[in-house]
Amino acid sequence: MPKIDVNEKLFFQVLGKKMGTDELTELLTAAKAELDDWPEGEGILRVELNDTNRPDLWSTLGLARQLSIYLGNKAPAYRFFSRPGTVQKTEDRRVVVDAGLAGIRPYIASFVAEGKKITDALLREIIQSQEKLCGNFGRKRRTIAMGVSRADLIQWPVHYGAADPDATLFIPLDFDKPLSMRKILSDHPKGREYGPLVAAFEKFPLLSDGRGEVLTFPPVINSALIGGVRVGDSRLFIDLTGPELDTILLACSIAACDFADMGFTILPVAVHYPVETRYGRTIATPFYFQKETVLAVKEAEKRLGEKFTPAQAARCIKRLGSAVRVDGELLVVSPPEYRNDFLHPVDVIEEIMIGRGMESFEPVMPRDFTVGRISEAEWYARSVRETMIGLGYQEMIYGYLGSRTDFVDRMGIDGAEVMEIENPMTESFDIVRNSILPNLLASESVSANAAYPHRIFEVGKIVVRDPSENSGSRTHNTLAFLVADRETGFNEVDAHLLALFYYLSLDPRLVPLSDPRFIPGRAAEIRVKGRKVGIMGEIHPAVLENWGIQMPCAGVELSLDLMREE
Amino acid sequence: MDTLSASSRDAQSTARELHPLEIKVLLHADEGTEVSQASLISELSYNTGQANQALSWLAAKGFAAEKSRATRVLYEITDFGRECFEKGTYEERIIRLISAEGPQSLPDIAARLGLDPRDVGSAFGGLSREKVLVMDDQKRAALPPGANNPLDGSPAAVRALLTRAAKTGALEEKSLTGAERDLAASLAKKRGSATSLFRLVEREEVTFVMTPAGGEARRQLQRAGTTGEEAGALTPEMLKTGAWKTARFRRYNIDVPPARILPGRSNPYCVFLERLKDKLASLGFEEFDGPLVETEFWNGDALFMPQFHSARDIHDVYSMKDPTHAREIEQPWLDQVAAAHENGWTTGSRGWGYAFDRTFTRRLILRSQGTVLSAKTLPHAKVPGKYFGVVRCFRYDRVDATHLADFYQTEGIVLGEEVNLRTLLGLLKMFAEEVAMAKEVKYVPGFFPFTEPSVEVHIKHPTLGWFELGGSGIFRPEVTEPLGVKVPVLAWGLGIDRMALTSMGLHDIRDLFSPSIEDVRTRRMR
Repeated sequence: MPKIDVNEKLFFQVLGKKMGTDELTELLTAAKAELDDWPEGEGILRVELNDTNRPDLWSTLGLARQLSIYLGNKAPAYRFFSRPGTVQKTEDRRVVVDAGLAGIRPYIASFVAEGKKITDALLREIIQSQEKLCGNFGRKRRTIAMGVSRADLIQWPVHYGAADPDATLFIPLDFDKPLSMRKILSDHPKGREYGPLVAAFEKFPLLSDGRGEVLTFPPVINSALIGGVRVGDSRLFIDLTGPELDTILLACSIAACDFADMGFTILPVAVHYPVETRYGRTIATPFYFQKETVLAVKEAEKRLGEKFTPAQAARCIKRLGSAVRVDGELLVVSPPEYRNDFLHPVDVIEEIMIGRGMESFEPVMPRDFTVGRISEAEWYARSVRETMIGLGYQEMIYGYLGSRTDFVDRMGIDGAEVMEIENPMTESFDIVRNSILPNLLASESVSANAAYPHRIFEVGKIVVRDPSENSGSRTHNTLAFLVADRETGFNEVDAHLLALFYYLSLDPRLVPLSDPRFIPGRAAEIRVKGRKVGIMGEIHPAVLENWGIQMPCAGVELSLDLMREE
Repeated sequence: MDTLSASSRDAQSTARELHPLEIKVLLHADEGTEVSQASLISELSYNTGQANQALSWLAAKGFAAEKSRATRVLYEITDFGRECFEKGTYEERIIRLISAEGPQSLPDIAARLGLDPRDVGSAFGGLSREKVLVMDDQKRAALPPGANNPLDGSPAAVRALLTRAAKTGALEEKSLTGAERDLAASLAKKRGSATSLFRLVEREEVTFVMTPAGGEARRQLQRAGTTGEEAGALTPEMLKTGAWKTARFRRYNIDVPPARILPGRSNPYCVFLERLKDKLASLGFEEFDGPLVETEFWNGDALFMPQFHSARDIHDVYSMKDPTHAREIEQPWLDQVAAAHENGWTTGSRGWGYAFDRTFTRRLILRSQGTVLSAKTLPHAKVPGKYFGVVRCFRYDRVDATHLADFYQTEGIVLGEEVNLRTLLGLLKMFAEEVAMAKEVKYVPGFFPFTEPSVEVHIKHPTLGWFELGGSGIFRPEVTEPLGVKVPVLAWGLGIDRMALTSMGLHDIRDLFSPSIEDVRTRRMR
């Protein structure tokens, strides 16, 4: 979930009123947001946004805009948008897209923002919006990269082309000498971070102006000259690039609305594509591309369990910024320019819920009668646990992830049945456990100070390789128990096994087993009706030594699922 | 009896609880008499341990008081000393051999007696210094001419000490004459060596004197006729023979703490989870469960989370190394879910608008959310139906006091024609009251990729105060319809770890899975 730093002064300025923590916390729920922290005297509110489909909320201005409308203030009118059939004037502000970008990063949307001096605070806002929009929503710049350049230095038209990575040189931001685009990937920190997004292509995306001066190398780095925006600049060129047209258009709209709310005048830019797009060959951006969503009022009534008139429902929806046209029993909803999160009419139903206020819905108990039931496996596990406790064992519970070191190396097994994790975060968790015995031995290794005898057990799950299964493995509900004492051995755990099986009405047969975990001649495979259900034996001193245990141990491990099978 | 003073009443009650070892001492030694370990050993035939116990118990009760301490010097007979007492010292054995068979060379003596030549050499050296033996002209050990009783001299003095020591185990230094003391000291010289006959030991000897309270206890015992020979335990034989009728039973001190018991016992966290399951079953929910290894299909795709969703990143889910993919995904669910992602299928949704990856969907992972099992339940769920699971999930998180790599999630679904937002709120209210014992409940809009609308429930817990108990919502049609469900479905999840910790008085979530046996044995449930 994205977290943002909200500029306190700017935020309350847009809301039109100050408020305290309680009132703000309550208000933020309308944006599915939570106040994380409001540190004294820093002028910053730390807010967490829960809705991953609402990137428009991930900036001071976007969040303030939503809440301001919710409080009843008038929604801002953004007159710079072109729409299907309505094209804004773009004059000489043009971006020409090269056909060579197809399959690389073919889409771009852009605008010019002017008429306000960039301050430190605004620069921080812009950088944060860029990070959240491109980092979170744009999946680490994969689908959205945003560049901000100094429009005064640009000679129109701007070219968005596919450049030869070795032959094209420019000075990247934070450097003082020209580098080839390929060299930037290896030498510039941003190149190392975002280079992998383009490294495999023959040509790299590049934005340059009418004189061939470089603006930016999306999605990697701006140029030092035109791309080096600083405090005091007052005319900016903003570009958004990526592989999906709608995503880029939405990101452009969000950025444009934010700049407009900061007090900038937005000047549209015409983007000329080499081929026809779903919105034409030339798109003037920012561009409103969103579709209407049609919702029947009775659908909302069914899902929310409340009666509404179409007008009431429309009022609730408008509180969150959408435009609504009532057509009989139907609501025709157009999202605001900066949103495109209505995938299904149910998404509009939620707007009614929030717009009406959560507290206005009275909880009622579901009237349907259903039978409650504990699973068969759980019942079986419970009788096993109860018997083990009666036999004097302490119940333990362990994590299911472990290390190869503990579960394979220390146990002296070959590990063929162990399911390994491909992308472990740490070496302590690089396998799913194939057995509970290593967990019990791990307990022993930290419990030499606990009074003996130790009798411990766990009923839990293990996973073992099983090529006959669709997933190549099988999860077993499993019991393992272990005794550690000065004088213990096969006979003691055998006696306990026999007692357990008596109460489960099972008849075990022991077959000599050769297993590196146990002392030879003191280990057995446990069979029920001729099928293997478990193993037992005296733990091999080499295994005990691996665990640093200085007390004899004997243990049993059984698959409850196999025991339960008829 | 009614004239007993307070102190004598104490003595009376104390006297009842005396151990036979104490009783015998009290009856043996009157007020003012001195007693010590040595006197109890010699006069009451106690062994050292019994004497020490009796004295320390009596002193603790104030019946005997320490009077003085003195250091005793003892010459304890060694194992080697006992062997020599029985078989003869090396010197005696050599003299006996030569007396019987005439002069012998030292190597021959060693061979005949089975002794180390060095021991024979040093024994001969000592004997020749004292002129008990001489070396003849053929380099043989021999008796000096005219010797008649060669064992009478120094060997006899050694034998006398060995004989006395063998009886009591040690010689008191103060009971020895000057010559004896010198001899004993020389024989104990090689302290610690295997061939020393004696070992010099210094012991601290405490002398006690019986106190007036001890005298009072003695009178109580005499009045009660207690002899110290009372029965310790009732035996089956006493019951069989009727001997119990005349027997007197020793009184026990009931204040003595008993030995610690190590019982078989359930783990409090497991009990917590079991009660939670019972509670949910009692509310009409049926339990579900499933394998730990899942596919991307069930873990995310079936829940309408787009395959490019940030929560499905390689760094958010554990994937399996071998095999990496399941063989297949069940139909028609695969086709229907894929279509829902691409264009909404027949659900009325516009879908996510991307090309669904049918290889990625078979990717094997460790399930990251319990909702997987809710999704897997849908194709065969009853209507109306309520289901729950308390299941282990895996999270790509650094482990610390509030995060675990695997942990329990409590999740479930409710299917029914009349399922809606208000019944969802009713359900959440029931969980808040029944599971968390909360009096106050608050609902706020939430966000989950698979529900719309989504609601979080916050509660005021009796000890934890306000916190988020869980998340819930109504499954999106893009989740239910591709899995064959036509009615609305509520989905809910409860965060119960904080309540579990509170119920056990713990603060660190890692302690729920503590491997320490002592920790778990001593843990209580509130």
